[in-house]
Amino acid sequence: MSEFLDQSTPSSAPSGFDFSLSHRNATLSSDSKSSINMVAKKTGTTIVGTVFDGGVVLGADTRATAGSEVADKFCEKIHYLAPNIYCCGAGTAADTEKTTELISSQLSLLRMSTQSPSRVVTACTMLKRMLFRYQGHVSAALVLGGCDISGPHVFQIYPHGSTGKLPYTTMGSGSLAAMSVFENEWKENMSESEAVDIVQKAITAGIFNDLGSGSNCDVTIIRLDGTVEIRRGALKENPVEPLRSMINRSSKFTMGKGTTAVLKDTFVKAKKGGEEDMVTD
Amino acid sequence: MASLLHPSQTSNPYNLKPGEVSSGTTIMAVPFKGGVVLGADSRVSTGTYVANRASDKIAQLTENIFCCRSGSAADTQALTDYVKFYLQQWEVESGRPATVKVAAHLMRKICYQNKDNLSAGVIVAGWDPVSKGQVYNIPLGGTCIEMKCAIGGSGSTYIYGLTDALYKENMGKQETLDFVKKSISHAMARDGSSGGIIRTCVVTEDGVEREYIPGNKLPYGP
Amino acid sequence: MSILAYNGAAMIGMAGDNCVGIAADTRLGAQAQTVACTFQKTFKISDTIFVGLAGLGSDVQTLSQTLKFRKNLYELKEERTMKPKVFSAMLSTLLYEKRFGPYFIEPIVCGLQDGVPFLSGMDLIGAPVFTDDFVVSGTCTANLFGTCESLYKPSQNPDELFETLSQCLLASVDRDALSGWGGVVHIITKEGVRTRELKGRQD
Repeated sequence: MSEFLDQSTPSSAPSGFDFSLSHRNATLSSDSKSSINMVAKKTGTTIVGTVFDGGVVLGADTRATAGSEVADKFCEKIHYLAPNIYCCGAGTAADTEKTTELISSQLSLLRMSTQSPSRVVTACTMLKRMLFRYQGHVSAALVLGGCDISGPHVFQIYPHGSTGKLPYTTMGSGSLAAMSVFENEWKENMSESEAVDIVQKAITAGIFNDLGSGSNCDVTIIRLDGTVEIRRGALKENPVEPLRSMINRSSKFTMGKGTTAVLKDTFVKAKKGGEEDMVTD
Repeated sequence: MASLLHPSQTSNPYNLKPGEVSSGTTIMAVPFKGGVVLGADSRVSTGTYVANRASDKIAQLTENIFCCRSGSAADTQALTDYVKFYLQQWEVESGRPATVKVAAHLMRKICYQNKDNLSAGVIVAGWDPVSKGQVYNIPLGGTCIEMKCAIGGSGSTYIYGLTDALYKENMGKQETLDFVKKSISHAMARDGSSGGIIRTCVVTEDGVEREYIPGNKLPYGP
Repeated sequence: MSILAYNGAAMIGMAGDNCVGIAADTRLGAQAQTVACTFQKTFKISDTIFVGLAGLGSDVQTLSQTLKFRKNLYELKEERTMKPKVFSAMLSTLLYEKRFGPYFIEPIVCGLQDGVPFLSGMDLIGAPVFTDDFVVSGTCTANLFGTCESLYKPSQNPDELFETLSQCLLASVDRDALSGWGGVVHIITKEGVRTRELKGRQD
């Protein structure tokens, strides 16, 4: 299996995952009273992508969850890969974040060595190889979209490393709700505004019908002419500000100075002139 | 070992990991006098959800050699990428086009050596000037069998009898193509994880012809 | 029970007007048994960066030293001070490197970047959350979210921020068995860092 699975990384730089704590953690979890419940942050997510006449539209909701708790109400799920390629991520938040970061940096190195813009298939191949190498343990489900010399492209990439090239696709826990919108309304040769409308509608379907998805709708448009438009919070169906401003806070909630009992109070002056001393313990 | 069981004998025929994308599939390849016909449905599923309803399970390995994929989508895609790469290298080194036998045995080698980690059943088929149209079936364990009519994937269990009954020696191109389309459409009608459209590929001395039948124009269907 | 909740912790990072504060409890327990009431969970990385480490006690201490070491090495190599955003990214990669054998730490980073509050929180494998109001971590995040959502106000001065932070923390830990036993609050301003030890319930 060696040559088939561990496509060895460059041997010079220290890279890859560090398993040194695995043994300790296994020992800790074998203690009957405790267990390693990985409560890693997940993005119960709705992400979508579609091609249109002049490019690609990607969409995502903005909720991040840890268990049933909303960990982030306005997180970014559309990640930058290259100037002409973006990627929506669903699954474990850290995995989607770091996987796209890694591939993004590899793509930029490739651009420097080939002196040519990145292609979407290249990004797709790099992602699928990495995910296949980790056999699904790096749980990143991605919708990859971008424009290159051969036109606009959308790919879906599953955590185990399988890919599919499609005119429109949805991923994440809200993918079923979002796909129902696409299957109902998607047409060939749509205009940009039509595509954006469908994407927003699909994400909204995810936000309202899937518990793991929520908050706002992000949209990124990548056009064939090379321009990119990032509409952060393109739709704000669930704004927090009006709700917060509706609360008439009692003056009792404004704590006066000295409310809290203090045992000890110290002040350490900051060092001036940017000369920061080394912190010692 | 569960993976050596016939697909119909186990509830999880390809030992997929939870959430893994599978091509719960019907694939088929039949040689005829001047070449070979490959066919496949287009459904890719994760559990009960159709992840892709118009996928292409017929992958091109060289100019005139193709393969039908079944099992884990990730595994079979990686597998065909490797075989494609090694065949290109082989062709450059030897200075001649690879034969179907070479491609099939390369595929078999990788499938066999990594059988503990793979869930892939593939059919390699193509045309070469040495042995003309040929079909090699490489099921789960990594055996390689040359066949007159190969079927594979979860949907194939429904059409063993049908293909046995309909298969004739010395069929022509159109007759073989019709046979493949008919068989796959019957499998799609009975197998929940096969469906969508039928993609076919005819490889002859003159080249490659690819076509598809939309889901509402199948020779047999509900 | 998760190892993350073995020792117990509660911490908040909150932004104010040109100042930022971090508050944490001081309990170290072995599940229900309280072992110490003076356990340090917030660490000064520089005059403008504080990190709060909630989770397994041994990892709190290991990571606090690793982070100080990495920050010192960065400043020696780069000959410039480390900004909170850079520190947060460094911590995130440090955690993700151990993706398949993680440190049991959910950290928060509080700092002033060019005088502007910086706040970030992470899960145990380094997925960052950036906010401009408050971040919470520890065994009573639900309580902390509740108190912070109701007591937080934008643009508080250092003194107001201190009172808000303290009350948020104290009110939350009273409803969590695994955290409490005193608290500490650091208010970071351009001028310096004010540290106050809180009088908290010892039950």
